[in-house]
Amino acid sequence: MTEQQALQPQGRRQFLQHWGGGLGWVALAHMLGRDAAATGAQLNGGLHHPAKAKRVVQLFMSGAASQCDTFDYKPLLLRRNGEEFDPGGKVELFQSTPGPVMQSPWSWKRHGESGKWMSSLVPRLAECVDHMAFFPSMISKSNVHGPATFMQNSGFVLPGFPSMGAWISYGLGALTDDLPSFVVLPDARGFAPNGPGNHSAAFLPAQHQGTMIRAGRENPIHDLFPPASASFITPQSEADGLRVLERLNRRHMGGREGDSRLEARIQAYEMAARLQVTAPQVLDLAGESAATRNLYGLDDPVTEDFGLRCLTARRLLERGVRFVQVWSGADNGFPRRNWDSHEDLFKDHGMMGKSMDRPAAALILDLQARGMLDDTIVYWTTEFGRMPCSQGSMGRDHNPFTFTSWLAGGGVRGGTVYGASDEWSYKALDKPIYCYDLHATVLHLLGIDHKRLTFRHNGIDRRLTDVHGHVIQDVLA
Amino acid sequence: MSAGRVDSQPRHSACGSKLLLCLATIAAVAPARADAPDFATAVLPIVEARCATCHPARGGQAGLSLVTKAGMLRGGKSGPAIVPGDPAASLLLAKVSGNPPLMPPVGERLTADEIDLVRRWIAEGAAGEATSDGAPGEHPWWSFKPLRRPARPEGDASWARNEVDRFVSAKLAENALRPSEEAGRATLIRRLTYNLHGLPPDPSAIDSFVNDRSSHAYERLVDRLLASPRYGERWGRHWLDVVHYGESHGYDKDKARRNAWPYRDYVIRSFNSDKPYSRFIREQLAGDVLWPGDPEGLIATGFIAAGPWDYVGHAELREGTKDKKLARLLDRDDMLAATMSTFASLTVHCARCHDHKFDPILQADYYALQAVFAGVDRAEQPYFDDPALHVEAREIWFRLRRAEDALRPFAKRIEESTSPEIQRIDDEVYELGEESKDLLPKVGEEDTEETVARRMEIAARIEELRSERKQLALALMEPEARAEHRRLVARLKRVNEEFDALPEPSYVYSAASYFKTHGKFIPAWEPRPVHLLAKGSVEAPLERVAPGAVEAVPGLDGRFRLEPGSGEGAARAALAAWLASPDNPLTWRSAANRVWHYHFGRGLADSPNDFGRMGSPPTHPELLDWLAAEFRDGGGSFKDLHRKILLSATYRQSSAADPERARADTGNRFLWRMNRARLDAESVRDAVLWTGGQLDLSMGGPSAEHFLFKDDHSPVYDYARFDVASPASRRRSVYRFLVRSVQDPFMESLDCADPSLLVPKRSSTLTAIQALALLNDPLMVEQSRRFAERMRSAGSNVDERIRHGFRLALGRDPSPEEALELATNAARHGLENSARIILNSNEFIFVD
Repeated sequence: MTEQQALQPQGRRQFLQHWGGGLGWVALAHMLGRDAAATGAQLNGGLHHPAKAKRVVQLFMSGAASQCDTFDYKPLLLRRNGEEFDPGGKVELFQSTPGPVMQSPWSWKRHGESGKWMSSLVPRLAECVDHMAFFPSMISKSNVHGPATFMQNSGFVLPGFPSMGAWISYGLGALTDDLPSFVVLPDARGFAPNGPGNHSAAFLPAQHQGTMIRAGRENPIHDLFPPASASFITPQSEADGLRVLERLNRRHMGGREGDSRLEARIQAYEMAARLQVTAPQVLDLAGESAATRNLYGLDDPVTEDFGLRCLTARRLLERGVRFVQVWSGADNGFPRRNWDSHEDLFKDHGMMGKSMDRPAAALILDLQARGMLDDTIVYWTTEFGRMPCSQGSMGRDHNPFTFTSWLAGGGVRGGTVYGASDEWSYKALDKPIYCYDLHATVLHLLGIDHKRLTFRHNGIDRRLTDVHGHVIQDVLA
Repeated sequence: MSAGRVDSQPRHSACGSKLLLCLATIAAVAPARADAPDFATAVLPIVEARCATCHPARGGQAGLSLVTKAGMLRGGKSGPAIVPGDPAASLLLAKVSGNPPLMPPVGERLTADEIDLVRRWIAEGAAGEATSDGAPGEHPWWSFKPLRRPARPEGDASWARNEVDRFVSAKLAENALRPSEEAGRATLIRRLTYNLHGLPPDPSAIDSFVNDRSSHAYERLVDRLLASPRYGERWGRHWLDVVHYGESHGYDKDKARRNAWPYRDYVIRSFNSDKPYSRFIREQLAGDVLWPGDPEGLIATGFIAAGPWDYVGHAELREGTKDKKLARLLDRDDMLAATMSTFASLTVHCARCHDHKFDPILQADYYALQAVFAGVDRAEQPYFDDPALHVEAREIWFRLRRAEDALRPFAKRIEESTSPEIQRIDDEVYELGEESKDLLPKVGEEDTEETVARRMEIAARIEELRSERKQLALALMEPEARAEHRRLVARLKRVNEEFDALPEPSYVYSAASYFKTHGKFIPAWEPRPVHLLAKGSVEAPLERVAPGAVEAVPGLDGRFRLEPGSGEGAARAALAAWLASPDNPLTWRSAANRVWHYHFGRGLADSPNDFGRMGSPPTHPELLDWLAAEFRDGGGSFKDLHRKILLSATYRQSSAADPERARADTGNRFLWRMNRARLDAESVRDAVLWTGGQLDLSMGGPSAEHFLFKDDHSPVYDYARFDVASPASRRRSVYRFLVRSVQDPFMESLDCADPSLLVPKRSSTLTAIQALALLNDPLMVEQSRRFAERMRSAGSNVDERIRHGFRLALGRDPSPEEALELATNAARHGLENSARIILNSNEFIFVD
């Protein structure tokens, strides 16, 4: 074999036939997964049935966004404002004893052809209601941020389970070799409760974990480039070095045939090099028009951070990322930097709502303008809701009994509302659902049967929806 | 990056849908008539496939078991399932053969042939008896069978070096395979040193081993490596994976556990001293009870506390709320899952909501195990290294507990007592509270200095009133009670002073039946009542359950039947005894299999935490039993077990593959060669530091923090701003501080164990993110510099430098081509870049 031949990657399928699988078959299968996904594209990406959507962007409101100040209109709160909160039965709150009924400090109006009531906290989203399917009867199994945030991400109130993005990456693979299949864009102010545990691959292979991308950092992806202090590394040393490395690795393969991991690792370095090119391109907004930047609110310091990340999300989706998770809000500390408005709803929800509304609406409109809304699911959620009564006269305590999520885009019937909370927005009343049902529905739209996407771990074939979950047919387009 | 892929026929979900059970061992029972279908051979495979999920041995739907003939005859809610000799009267047939059939309600129905077979079986008298369902008294699943030393097969005597090889070669011959040749000496010493120390061999050690002509060179090398303290660090780390040891709570408010490390050091010491396994088990579950005079006993119970803990659920939620109950249920769930997975390789945690669907584990077993841990929480406990002082301190500590406990009824009485004066105080407190609330700014208003001042005034006044109220309540009590209260308060104060008079104790984060109340986190005082929960719901308690373990394990009593008042520690001691018993077949198989797993990269049973039906049965059941029996009967010595495995010809084989045997046994299940290993995260990091001459080999103590810590509502662990050149970064990886919520991204990219998960085996991925970490992480860049410096120390000749680097990192000399290539690169870009290339090479990351 000449040196030149030695440098050619082996034909992967030929290699497989020769070695009957060999050790490291799994690693190679993951490499081949790229091919499988490409074939799957004819089925529109579906794993178990034809898909309506190919990708997902999830907007996660950390700290618990109030349903009764955004999407869940209750005239009773206006009528009973300031009166004793007496919905019947014992009211068990997280931190406090129930204060009087508190109407929303924001006003309400009907919007769109569907006539959906929306509060003045979310005026831009109000213009998109005919794209959206609302779920005002969501229930959380925990009233505590950590476990509840885990639940919305992974379906379990415990740490150690793969998040939805990891499951979808595992199930459908990547649409591109140049970017990770699951990307997370954390709030600039810090992590949500549970930290990166929220987007863990847990027991799934590590390539499915959420890769964090942080615009504006020296290394927007951890270790994407050497630290600036590494003066001995130059573009030329890097190019030469990678060539030497590959030659070393190819020589090392001689006498070690049949181990596909050795080839897979060479490929991983090639992908790494591509990522160094593509990641900065994604983050470079020079090509975005002023109109687009303004649409996302990059011109306003209040909307700039979330807007930048929503725009980045669209750019990632355009380039083949399967699942992008964008966080609005950090941890539950002080001063408030997320939606956990125990003390002062008007101030804290006011700030969070304003920062979220315009960019989130921009994302829907921009995806639509680019013809991507048809096969992209926009999934807005939070860990639980807030109480219709007051806490300490100006805040709202946690409400796990009802909260609102919404979907828009690929395969979702817009302008619909599924289920309802009671007249107080205190408890889910009509068609109560859990995140399992929403997760099952999103997987369904992606062509995945949520009961058949499983992974064996510690004796149990685990799935995103645990032993629950029903596809919500009523909101399918 | 590299795309994931799913089998085109994904697995069935364990809890959701029907599952095909293939039984490996079905004892043949002679049929009544030669041509009549027999239960075990004809009917059982059908019902196992179609019915067993909902109608297992016990606890099935409608109270019906269909996996034994006895169960069919006994029947369920609607009566017997079969009437031998009378198919028409047999309910089972009616249910499965309708159009459409009623059963099974989901999944594949019985085929016409299968229905016909069942009909014939019934018609001809329903011959045979049920077997292999794992319940007590019936034919057990492999892992539940009593552990006996199997006879040694002859195997290939000419190849075999020891008994292990007899078993392996016999299996190879059965499968028409032959073993590979022995690996070269340089390969063997690199393999052994990584395997036992997690570090590369020193070039001088390689030279002396390669040139050692003595016939015992290999044995001596193994002994030398086992005697080194590096061994305990390496194998202790494996143990920490299995028990999910971490040093922060996890969840929201991921507080640091600054005193978890004594348990980590205990584990390392235990491996280095080759502690008998039964003692190792007993110490970790109940060392505080069984060896109260030895601080080691208390430290060992760090095992129980090792996993995550919901700070908000325990320390902030009010007593009596649903979420509080849920937090405690899940806390005990973590303890019992860790215990049973670690020591018994059983998935008892699957039985929280219903009886185990596949293994003979009842929901009652699960709650009996919950009851074992019902008296402990996770908290810091004081200890002294000096045993005498330790005993004294524990004695005072438990007197403190009694003193505090004795006062609890008074607190309740004070709370509940009333009088006109007390009522007046309560009214005033209420009104002040209302006034304070009214003083809070309304929506859109700002707080003013006056309102803030008034609110603080009110708070102080309320405090004063509460104290007055307490005095009034006490005054209302009968004089004896008052005197008793005074006496108890004085006693608590006295005991507190006694404790404070001790020298400053050390603390360990461990199991704790008593600790100082922190917020709403209070001790159990006595074991919390544990009830069987319908569907695992804290809102649906059924009967109360006493401590116990798994009833179906033969030869052991799964119900502990403790005397009332024997204390919470007795339950843990009983579980420890149950697990450490020589008669527990699971324990010894589990440990022997784990050790095999860490030597070969795969266990003889490839599911080290699951010896049930959803796990992988062993490829070499006799070998596993032989090793387990040797381990048990030889005093539970890990080092002896290592020697048996490492001295075998099986272990010494080359890892090179050939296409012919690879086609016959693609996964090398039968061990016709050694498995090539990708280094785990700790080995990579330690080897990189070692290669650069930077590894700090000091042992033990508080963990090295590779992040900047900022305490906050939710503490911040910032890895990006850590100085990789600082001394903390040079410690061995087993000593790094393990945060749950934010893992070290460098280690995470190399598949380090997630401390929120029980990790019986590491995954081993090769991703672009990992490649970037190995190229660009500040640690790698810094160590490339150090490595280059070390290479320079070999002399001024660049070839000498490259050679030195190869010998350090790869344990061999470079070929002329390699030397030229790296020297050229060094000339063009500096030796640091060549060093970095070597550290990124496949050869550095894989071990043959």
